[in-house]
Amino acid sequence: MAMGGPRYFEDCEIGATLPVLEKGPLTSAHLMRWSAAMENWHKIHYDKPFAIEHDKLPGLLINGSFKQQFILQLLKDWVGPAGWVWKVSFQFRAMNLVGETMSVWGKVSAKRDGPGYGLIDIDLGITNDAGKESTPGTATLALPYRGGKPVPYPFVPPQS
Amino acid sequence: MPLLTDALKEYIGLRSETEIACDPVERGAVRRYAQAIMDEDPIFDAPCANNARFGGPVAPPLFPTHMFRRAFGAPDPMQLRARDPDFDGIGATAAQGLPELEPIRHLALLNGGSEIEFFRYARHGETVKLRSRYADIVEKETSKGPMLFVTIETEYRNGDDELLMTTRRTLIRR
Repeated sequence: MAMGGPRYFEDCEIGATLPVLEKGPLTSAHLMRWSAAMENWHKIHYDKPFAIEHDKLPGLLINGSFKQQFILQLLKDWVGPAGWVWKVSFQFRAMNLVGETMSVWGKVSAKRDGPGYGLIDIDLGITNDAGKESTPGTATLALPYRGGKPVPYPFVPPQS
Repeated sequence: MPLLTDALKEYIGLRSETEIACDPVERGAVRRYAQAIMDEDPIFDAPCANNARFGGPVAPPLFPTHMFRRAFGAPDPMQLRARDPDFDGIGATAAQGLPELEPIRHLALLNGGSEIEFFRYARHGETVKLRSRYADIVEKETSKGPMLFVTIETEYRNGDDELLMTTRRTLIRR
């Protein structure tokens, strides 16, 4: 559910952390539900013999496409309805297997002025129960100034 | 034997036609998607204060990337390859409008990551279309042997040609 409420550029301090979003433990049923919702039937997410014997994987993989949804939820809920998630990038560096719980984290790394709104740079990632990072990434979010105009919608990025 | 052969290099720069998603943004599809990702944000459901500035209920941010599904009556790889022990369950649907990379169709596929920019949400009822390009294909030697990193750039637009989002996806083939 969206948390949020208005959040202003001035409220964000460099080094501040976003509330961790926890998802899991993710069972094979969660993966099946996600596969069905997007109609993508890649067997490595539900056919354990295929994953292990054919693709030489250690078990059923939690979809990268699933993990990226959690990153977007963390960022969307944090900027709230008046802000905008402009840019996100992440790499799937390590596998996560069925049964693991994902902890999606973010931290403010920089802030700067944009054209009529403020920009917040975020470092982010996803760790599992063992604390292992699987999905390091970054994001840039737009937030209104306190007392300023709303962030434009559709979003108009700053001229580079 | 390099994985990146001349036949494969010919795909670099290849651009797809504009492809229109077979169904518009459907409320039921959005509900199933929101429940699957466990983000039942009211902005995805019905008109409310928090989606007023988006023009009403919207789909989750990454929903447009998952709208390019098998159209009614299109060939069904699940049936066609039911007896193929190497069929991984997805066949040709992975490349966002682009033709499959035939020289490496036997290689396993892993999602390497993405760079994404968002400009607007897809609203309920909207049509979504895409156009993609094989931006690059490079071979890298890794601790697990040689792998190919395939970069696909895609633009997503609504029915009025307004830009929704752009993605730059990396697919790993090994």
